[in-house]
Amino acid sequence: MDPKIVELLDLYDGPFSSVLRENAAMAKNSGLPICQDTGFLEFFVFQGNEVALEEPIIETLNSAVKNVYTDSPFRYSIVSDPLLNRKNTGDNTPVICHLFPIRGDELEIRFLVKGGGSENLSRLFMLNPSATVDELVHTVVESLRESAARGCPPLKVGIGIGGSSDKAMVLAKLALTRSFDEKHPDKDYAALEERILREVNDLEIGYQGLGTGITAYSVHIETYPTHIAIMPVGLATDCYIARKGRVIFED
Amino acid sequence: MRIEELRVGDELFYSGEFLIMRDAAQKRLKEMLEEGKKLPVSLDGAIIFYAGPAKPTKDSFGAIGPTTSNRMDLFLEMLFMKGVLATVGKGKRSKQAVSLCKEYGRVYFLAPSGAAAALAGRISDMTTLAFDDLGTEAIFKVQVKDFPLYVAIDSLGNDVFISE
Repeated sequence: MDPKIVELLDLYDGPFSSVLRENAAMAKNSGLPICQDTGFLEFFVFQGNEVALEEPIIETLNSAVKNVYTDSPFRYSIVSDPLLNRKNTGDNTPVICHLFPIRGDELEIRFLVKGGGSENLSRLFMLNPSATVDELVHTVVESLRESAARGCPPLKVGIGIGGSSDKAMVLAKLALTRSFDEKHPDKDYAALEERILREVNDLEIGYQGLGTGITAYSVHIETYPTHIAIMPVGLATDCYIARKGRVIFED
Repeated sequence: MRIEELRVGDELFYSGEFLIMRDAAQKRLKEMLEEGKKLPVSLDGAIIFYAGPAKPTKDSFGAIGPTTSNRMDLFLEMLFMKGVLATVGKGKRSKQAVSLCKEYGRVYFLAPSGAAAALAGRISDMTTLAFDDLGTEAIFKVQVKDFPLYVAIDSLGNDVFISE
């Protein structure tokens, strides 16, 4: 777990605090997963135009995930069809893979190990293009007021603003790959991240949704240019263990 | 443990039996009832734990923990009509679920979420009862010891989350 998660968990003294701390220690020593929902894998691949691969990257990622999940005491949580035939695939694949073409000879892969509970808090809001900052903040905070207790708080909050409806959602997810202290490079957006974090914590939903301790660790915003008639806002959250990774291959 | 004496905010350690089932199994049970079929398990007197265990290791039962109960509110009355005494999960439930607990005099417990390694150590036996084809979503019977629970909805209809 991220050192910040462990540090904050040590400070938490509300319901279930001792079993949560016991769990963190036990998962570290026993090899058992920290949560039974060992998630789906969502990858964000930034591939330089000079990087040549032997096979499509999603095939490599599927093989890797299959190997890890079949060799470990993890849960298989993927069904092959979402509606008509929800049959478990038995190896936790396929993964979700987003490709971002970039210039150069680097291959950067970020990923989330995403549980279903927090995933169900995801929302897309198509705000009016003339919406104010206050309206955006209100929309996000009210959504979390209703839902945060179901997502295993404290949450990490990702917000994607701009692009198209689908782009805003991907940006919200991409925002979750940032580390807790990685603020938006623009100081005004960084200030907005701080403001939303403050207002979410004012909800006092707390650990396990039971009112004690913080409600969110951090808020991360990603933006993209958009159309004059729209302001898409994607909201994504990650649960209190916020599992993620990042690897960079240099040629 | 007397269900009707429990009040919101009570913390307890439970030793005994849970039936484990989640979305897919409950959907299937509902369909079987609608088709007039006999259910493959008796729910009378049961405590239902909304969960889907991970794989066991050679030294331990699989990691296990609660999933979001709210998704299964639409099956709650079916469970109570079949004699279920209590449900165990995570997160707040709908107003309807709170009313059902009051109407039937049942309770809803929270189990700690994201504490699956610690909870695996409190399991002493697990068997599959039905719907093996559903994998982790099958119906399991499990024996637990000193399993931490927190009363979130009591039989008077008090709710720790104060539903919207």
